[in-house]
Amino acid sequence: MEEQTPGISRGFFNPHQRETIEAAMARIIPTDDQPGAREARTIDFLDRYLSGLDYVFAKPDGSGFEQLEGKRAGAWGRRIASLREKYVTGIEELDRKAQEQFRADFVQLTEEQQDRLLADMEHPAREAEENLELAQVTGAWAPVEPAMQQTSAEIELDFFPLLALHTRQGFYSDPIYGGNKDRVGWGLIGFDGPISLAETHAGRYTTRPYFAEEQLDWEKEIDHGS
Amino acid sequence: MAHKQKPERADVCIIGAGASGATAAKVLTEGGVSVVALERGPWRKRESFGGDELANVNRYNLWPDPLLNPRTFRASETEDPTLGLFCPVPQMVGGGTVHWQGWLPRFTEKDFHLRTIAGDVPGSSLVDWPITYTDLEPYYTEVEWAFGVSGQAGANRYESPRSRGYPCPPMPMTRYGQKFHEGCRKLGYNSFPTPMAALSRPYNGRPATVLSAFAQQHGDPTGTRSSALSVFVPDALKTGRYDLRPDCYVHEVTVDEHGRAKSAVYQDADGDFIEQEADIFIVACGAIESARLLLLSRSSRFPNGLANGSDLVGRNLTLHEYSAAVGVFDDPIYAWAGGGYVATSSYEFYEHADDRGFVGGCHIAAAGVGIPLPINWSLPDRPLWGAQAKQMDRDFFNHSFAVGMVLHDMPQHDNRVELDDEVKDAWGLPVARITHKPHPNDLAQGRWVIDHNAEILEAAGAKKTYRVYVDCITGNCSHQHGTTRMGNDPSTSVLNKHCQAHEVDNLYVVDGGPFPTATGANPTLTIMANAWRVADGLLQRQGAPVEVASSRLQ
Repeated sequence: MEEQTPGISRGFFNPHQRETIEAAMARIIPTDDQPGAREARTIDFLDRYLSGLDYVFAKPDGSGFEQLEGKRAGAWGRRIASLREKYVTGIEELDRKAQEQFRADFVQLTEEQQDRLLADMEHPAREAEENLELAQVTGAWAPVEPAMQQTSAEIELDFFPLLALHTRQGFYSDPIYGGNKDRVGWGLIGFDGPISLAETHAGRYTTRPYFAEEQLDWEKEIDHGS
Repeated sequence: MAHKQKPERADVCIIGAGASGATAAKVLTEGGVSVVALERGPWRKRESFGGDELANVNRYNLWPDPLLNPRTFRASETEDPTLGLFCPVPQMVGGGTVHWQGWLPRFTEKDFHLRTIAGDVPGSSLVDWPITYTDLEPYYTEVEWAFGVSGQAGANRYESPRSRGYPCPPMPMTRYGQKFHEGCRKLGYNSFPTPMAALSRPYNGRPATVLSAFAQQHGDPTGTRSSALSVFVPDALKTGRYDLRPDCYVHEVTVDEHGRAKSAVYQDADGDFIEQEADIFIVACGAIESARLLLLSRSSRFPNGLANGSDLVGRNLTLHEYSAAVGVFDDPIYAWAGGGYVATSSYEFYEHADDRGFVGGCHIAAAGVGIPLPINWSLPDRPLWGAQAKQMDRDFFNHSFAVGMVLHDMPQHDNRVELDDEVKDAWGLPVARITHKPHPNDLAQGRWVIDHNAEILEAAGAKKTYRVYVDCITGNCSHQHGTTRMGNDPSTSVLNKHCQAHEVDNLYVVDGGPFPTATGANPTLTIMANAWRVADGLLQRQGAPVEVASSRLQ
């Protein structure tokens, strides 16, 4: 197991669970000539998220994390507990299938064998797709539509779509959450994001250079009647 | 019950401090009236917002948390409802305007007479509005100039007459807006810069809007976008007559022995119940929650909910399902720049046309496909995981954009909000249960418009297009209307044209609930203009009868 990123508190997973999820995430966003989930440290993102209530919301200026209180803390306590259970049983199932088919734990399999097992895990999730669409989760995990005005309901997801969702979140979210290390996720897709949350918070981050180079004179357009 | 001292009676009590409630508060307080506002959510300051997609979009930093504020949904009365977020809107001071990008097109004259223009639509409860565009026009102008809306008067060939242009020139053009404009031009379609709740230049002492990738569905830490939170709430507070109480969740509106609204009973942040009396009550919780509150307010006079002798409260719900065609291009488009929604629009498909095979039409506009990142972004044929998914993120993130539509769904009597007695929210109240089934006209319109949107993308040079048709209603647009429709006949409407309840003369509703039809345009400008009109009418005593209030309203 690789060392955890310095400064990140002890996570939720035990060493075997952590290695298993790290290996599975490396198949969700594999490494090629550019970084994948392993280099982005999406495992740190997830391990930190599941560690408790201390890493749910970054402070908007990037200076730390919010302390949850009241009803909100109660809801997040229930949500994290449910997610932990799904991961624990999901990892057990991965190993059980790995033992059945290949007589080894998931982490010991080849990448091709891991892909076959993960594809097996994906099928029940596909069957749930229609119901989950109604629950407005499509944009977040089972991407059959462009992003709409909606939000995800991760608590309703099964283990595999949850793993895919969290890998993606860890790969592309702000590095303060523990993943997207050195902003490798943003580099992959060409997103010129802010250096830190503080840049956006202070209004220093701007996307103006990515607007059209030549601006239209709309007044002239009206004269042309088009 | 109440541990605390009962607060002083108010002139006007507004329930909700979002787009419509804050507008009404601004107008009334500036007119000399004292207002108590009860907002169920927190009063967040701009410093509490940030450019954090994970928190804002995925972890309910701004959206309601479905474990605390769920709704249930079913497509017909025979189905078991499913639990989740349905057509959510942020529950906080500023409401949906806190995290919007703020597209603010006006409705057109014909929107107010669609029943007359298009005729009967079998299965639909389509009606004309009891007011006209002319009635609203002065208030459109008021809102546009209060907000500093950036746009270009006359650029939309189909816009109805306006008394004044836009206060700020259009926002700079994005590459996706430019592509859309090129596609439209090739096909002979008119397009125009989407009027936006943002400042293209400094205005009224406020700096120009910062162009960030984090806008749509993100709060604004710079306070430079225009919203109810950044403009109307401060305007109302300046008068010294706006008593805004956040974290105060109204459980019911009680009635007195004459059947008039007497008080709002709310639970404050400490969990204490408090009764607020007022001369006039304005309900402004959004069409779904306003209907829910009226239905929760049962009494011997109104056993089926306040002002609901007609059984129309909650009915005729319309939702504007959002859908899009998506195009992939060779050259980079950077559809995340400007939050993905500094856009170009067209009303080419907006007005009803008899030869299209469906009634109505809608606003279309260019938009990004992420908000902004591939956390919440994809393409229809992108796998969930693996090498190909990664390749598509890499190849298409900077090379695709959508032409979206706001579906003008037909009102139907049985599409409605009710109370779900099986599911309660974190405050112990039954949640809203939505029953909504698309009308065949909705599906036909969606198909036709998406096909035409795809043609625009192709004309703009897309090498590949995706057509995402509406085949079911998911409530993905946050727009909601019709649940307390206004009209002249008390047997077919909840409110009169002053948005005053037919059955309760000191009760008003000013959100999207009064809208008899959805129209095909983003509704919030019109919601705010209408709230301004209603509040202005109260001030001018046009919303008769308001005799009881008149002594205090002078």
